[in-house]
Amino acid sequence: MNAIEIRNLSKSFRGMYAVDNLNMTVPAGAIYGFIGENGSGKSTTEKLICGHLVPDGGEIKLFGKDYSDAGVRVRVGALIESAGCFPNSSVWANLMMQALNLGLPNREEEINRVLKIVRMEDNARIKFKSCSLGMKQRIGIAMALLGDPALLILDEPINGLDTDGMRIMREILVDITKNYGCTVLISSHILGELEKIATHYGIIRQGKMICEISAEEMDARSRTFISLKTNDMSGAKGVLRDMFYTVKEEDGYLKIYNTDDTETIVGLMLKNGYAVSEIKSNKIGLEEYYIELMSKKEEA
Amino acid sequence: MENSRELKFESPGFFKRLKGMLGVDFYRLFHTPLLYIFLIIAALIPALVSMGATGGEEQTTQLFTNAWQIIAANKPLYVISDIGEYANMNMVFIFGGIMISIFIGHDYKSGYVKQLFTTHAKKQDYMMSKTLLGAFSMACMCVTYFIGGTLAGAFTGLPFEINAGSLICAILGKMIMSLGWASLYTFINVIFRSKFGISIALCFILGTGIPVIGAAAVTGNTPALNVFLYGSSVYACLSSNALTLLVCLMNSVVWAIVYNVLGSLILSKRDVY
Repeated sequence: MNAIEIRNLSKSFRGMYAVDNLNMTVPAGAIYGFIGENGSGKSTTEKLICGHLVPDGGEIKLFGKDYSDAGVRVRVGALIESAGCFPNSSVWANLMMQALNLGLPNREEEINRVLKIVRMEDNARIKFKSCSLGMKQRIGIAMALLGDPALLILDEPINGLDTDGMRIMREILVDITKNYGCTVLISSHILGELEKIATHYGIIRQGKMICEISAEEMDARSRTFISLKTNDMSGAKGVLRDMFYTVKEEDGYLKIYNTDDTETIVGLMLKNGYAVSEIKSNKIGLEEYYIELMSKKEEA
Repeated sequence: MENSRELKFESPGFFKRLKGMLGVDFYRLFHTPLLYIFLIIAALIPALVSMGATGGEEQTTQLFTNAWQIIAANKPLYVISDIGEYANMNMVFIFGGIMISIFIGHDYKSGYVKQLFTTHAKKQDYMMSKTLLGAFSMACMCVTYFIGGTLAGAFTGLPFEINAGSLICAILGKMIMSLGWASLYTFINVIFRSKFGISIALCFILGTGIPVIGAAAVTGNTPALNVFLYGSSVYACLSSNALTLLVCLMNSVVWAIVYNVLGSLILSKRDVY
């Protein structure tokens, strides 16, 4: 079953299409990394799924049901742009209001559970406005987690967080998908972080989905390369080309594609009298894939 | 996916959904100072009106020959010739408008409305919940206004002369009208949302009855004006009876339905923010 199925979804603002005939499929249980430039339509799509915006056309199905079905929507948790909490109320009061909103029977127990997941047990009584950005994001996740959601929609949850905050957020997201089995749709600009947790990716550009790919497929498509620095870059480049390697000189390095055998390369360099000052095995990741895809689209 | 689970989606019924939304609203109402401030204001205003607002005891006694006139006028007066005639429990509908505007405005300003609309697909839940909350708040203000008015009457030494049944009907009539007023104010607020300054101004204008008073200036003191919320609120006066209550009830419920339908329609056709 698919958690989200979107067909030909469109949304315009003053004649400009923010989402333009978008198609999207998020399998149930996936952590779906939603990627795109600023203004590409990520947040608009997420707001449409949550019912915050009224679509111009198209169809949104959540777990096989229309997105306006009250039974499905009550199982959606969202953190879009901000936590959506009352600043003068305490963290606990905000969570209590959301628990009441969802009609949860065991509210206090449920609040303690989500506070534990987001590691905020000791800060429940402070006012929301007194919380740091990282804490606010975690409270937003706690709000979204209340009531056993089947689908979590998180818009840039790691934006503006420091390294430690990002690590905590990553651990929380992995924890909730592993232990609670909900589907997560997460958008982020920090592709390196997304790569660590996502099982599927969707790349959006100018309101259109340009690519949907699973992490496994992405892995299979990924190319490895070695970056190399020698005392004679052009000489070394010639030697490598003679040995039928694909070589490109970029950013002061020779990039040797489709190999991760550093030992052979070092041996080859020494044999031909070149001193190796730096060598590293790399893999083309999500970021490089994304940039490549975007530049191809740009050229087209 | 390996970590997916068997999912069941049970659609909550209307009352369950409304209970959830009302739960949030009433929790917020009782856990923030807004309602308490307005209850105090509603209690203090009649005291101020009767004791000093008209410029001294002598003038006050001219305006109010009976302490219960602080609560309602002797008979329905749609055309106001003196501001003092207006100074009765109808002012609660102005306070209520301001309170509802602040309450709903903060829903939008804080972004909490996102949480509500993510989990509540049916937009009428929001309209109904806010209407009931507003009606409850204004009804409570009517009670504190009554207490404040009675104490003020006693303090100024005005006589308490009235048919008790009529007085009860007048107060109950105004409390019943709270529902209609609350639906109007909720409707205004779902139009202007976080721009609650505009909502407050509009609620103030409508709450003071300026449009009806304007119409009354043309038509004269006619019961036809009872069709409006302000008209029925004025109709609930010290000469009220069971018929008055019936008129207030019908008027209030009809307007509540009209504004709830219109508000729900606006919410479902417009983006949330």
